[in-house]
Amino acid sequence: MRPLLIALCLFLSACESVQPWERGSLAREDMQWDTDRMDSALRKQTQYSKEAATGGGGAAGGGCGCN
Amino acid sequence: MSRSRPDKHPTLLALTSSAMMLPGYQQAQAESPPTDGTVGLRLSSYQEDDITASKAFNGPSERYDIDIAQFHLLAPVGDDWTLALDVSYEDMSGASPWFVGMDADGSAKVVMSGASIEDQRTAISVTTRYYYDRGNVAFNYARSDENDYKSDAIGLDASFNSKDNLTTWSAAISGSKDDIEPTQGQTPTNTLKDEKDIRFAWVGVTRIVSRRAILRFGLSYTYREGFLTDPYKLNDRRPDQRKEWVLSAGWRQHFVGANGSLHADYRYFDDDWGIKSHAIDLAWHQTVNQHLRVVPFVRYYSQSQADFFANFVDFSADYYADDYRLSAFGAWSGGLRGIVSLDDWQVTLSGERYVSKASWSLDEGEESPGLVKYWRYTVGFDYRF
Amino acid sequence: MPRYQHRFTAMGGPCQIQIDSHSEDQILAAAQAAEAEVRRLDAKYSNYRSDSFTQQINDSAGRGHAIDIDEETSALLNYADTLWQQSEGLFDLTAGVLNQAWDFKSNALPQNKVLDELLPLVGWHQLKLTDTSLELPSVGMYLDFGGLVKEYASDRAAQRLIEHGCSHSLVELAGDICVCGPQEDGIEWPIGIRHPTSPSQALADIQLAAGALASSGDYERGMTIDGKRYGHILHPKTGWPVEGLASVSIVAEQCLVAGSLATVALLKPEQEAMDWLQSLGMPWLAVNQNLQVFGSLSDQ
Repeated sequence: MRPLLIALCLFLSACESVQPWERGSLAREDMQWDTDRMDSALRKQTQYSKEAATGGGGAAGGGCGCN
Repeated sequence: MSRSRPDKHPTLLALTSSAMMLPGYQQAQAESPPTDGTVGLRLSSYQEDDITASKAFNGPSERYDIDIAQFHLLAPVGDDWTLALDVSYEDMSGASPWFVGMDADGSAKVVMSGASIEDQRTAISVTTRYYYDRGNVAFNYARSDENDYKSDAIGLDASFNSKDNLTTWSAAISGSKDDIEPTQGQTPTNTLKDEKDIRFAWVGVTRIVSRRAILRFGLSYTYREGFLTDPYKLNDRRPDQRKEWVLSAGWRQHFVGANGSLHADYRYFDDDWGIKSHAIDLAWHQTVNQHLRVVPFVRYYSQSQADFFANFVDFSADYYADDYRLSAFGAWSGGLRGIVSLDDWQVTLSGERYVSKASWSLDEGEESPGLVKYWRYTVGFDYRF
Repeated sequence: MPRYQHRFTAMGGPCQIQIDSHSEDQILAAAQAAEAEVRRLDAKYSNYRSDSFTQQINDSAGRGHAIDIDEETSALLNYADTLWQQSEGLFDLTAGVLNQAWDFKSNALPQNKVLDELLPLVGWHQLKLTDTSLELPSVGMYLDFGGLVKEYASDRAAQRLIEHGCSHSLVELAGDICVCGPQEDGIEWPIGIRHPTSPSQALADIQLAAGALASSGDYERGMTIDGKRYGHILHPKTGWPVEGLASVSIVAEQCLVAGSLATVALLKPEQEAMDWLQSLGMPWLAVNQNLQVFGSLSDQ
């Protein structure tokens, strides 16, 4: 765990500063973490019901009887 | 463009903080909720390939088909709140592997559940989100209903932006209480009525790394307790506890010349059932023109087998399962999504193929005859108001 | 997606608002609200209107009592106070009175006697300022918000656009620009910094997705006597034109901050101004009296 935290701190401090007026590309719709909520919810649920590993990107929802 | 040093010039600091006392200036800095509402619908068809005669005892057999309808509504409420409602309905039919047996020449074959299983699932989720100056916090309630399974879940998540808005810290917790009551009559079941609880915690950090790239890391822990055995599988007896750790990383990079963005995500999973897994998701979002965006995507997934997995189980062991989902396998999936935007409307079409094989796993293991292949098609509509 | 351009004249110059949006209703409401905000501030703080609040303040000078000020004025004066302190007295809202000594159309230098009479009327520290009241102690003293209000109005107009959900828009008030989000396709707005003497020519092209660009220049008014140029930027302590840069442009998060930094830079001697601009760490561009271009924005 500790090397991970150290790596994270190094990473955070090594990044260049990006000013608010330089963040146009980051605001684009195709730069969002989740561009299609329902599509990713369905993919996640399908994968959850066919694979042993699950979870990852953020908050979890409720369960289902598919696994 | 010059880079401002982390230690700002005192004059700049003094003037900026003095300007923040002016009416309206503070607000311009705050994280604000979306001003538009959106409503969306997705209709999907999920079809598993038939299982071939070489993998099943009773000849080639149909597997699962699912029709799915999803509805999503997001509405701003006042200046600082949003309300989201998600409803999904699934109509499932078909057969699934019941157990694995040995055929005359010693190879493993599945026996499919006999008659077609029919079930419907309805899921409802409500999320209220509050936006404050430096982030947002949300409460979620979700309920899922099937003939043989009910789940109630609540969750809380929050995010907090650093002062320069370069870094966002996030955290989430959730818990669910699930009731299992297998449908009786077709095959014997492993329980008549049981329950399980799930506890989940997650922390994440998102960081702007350049004017065109953003990166995030997440760490989550899930604890499951209760009846974790599959109620319908003949040879299935699992521990009543499971602890899972997930480490994830995501990357988004925009390419101005190509007018496209790369989405890359990696996930590492490790649990106390002996399963380790890697998953890589790649997608390219190509803006063709102001009305059309095309998104090809590909995913590689690999898992090792659970400690108690075997095609031919040892009934004297504490735990055993011949479920293909606990075997070592790798899977490739990929597809294409097209999004057409016209004014406030958006139409989405997507198709995806999923194929799995034991030899694609990064780990060694017996190949289960029950591994799945499927197609998925979706048509969707979104409207912004 | 349609782009809407709205042009009007206010704050002594041409103004424009540009919005990328699908919704015509949203565009019209936003552009109207933004223009109305600019006109409100023009009417409230103008030095050229007899019914402005600035005029009321200046009329009260030397009457021996304080005038009530509203929250907005109080916050602006508080900002001006910070700026006066940070610039070590170079930026002074009371310095406008010195312009009375200078007539740039006459091509004649002022008499020392006139300047000597005016200089005691300059001095921010003489003001009696509380959160709710202001007193100008001497007859003839007056405030000139001209150095702040256009930039402040740009920020306020931009806030109106954001409130109306225009996240792909910009507002420009006679050269001061506030950007609210990138263009619809996510690309930054291309913005040219005008050449001081040939405005159709761009000195530098920059890209902004948010934040503001403000410029301050000494080239608009001035006169040349015996080969020596006298610009209209006056040093508040001597009453004489400063011999500094000809023009300064700065990018910052708020137009108000960008504009006041540019103004302070113009009040400093050339080399000192450039060292100071460099130390601020904000993107900047300066042109000196020989039309040489300097600054972090010039190498792009």
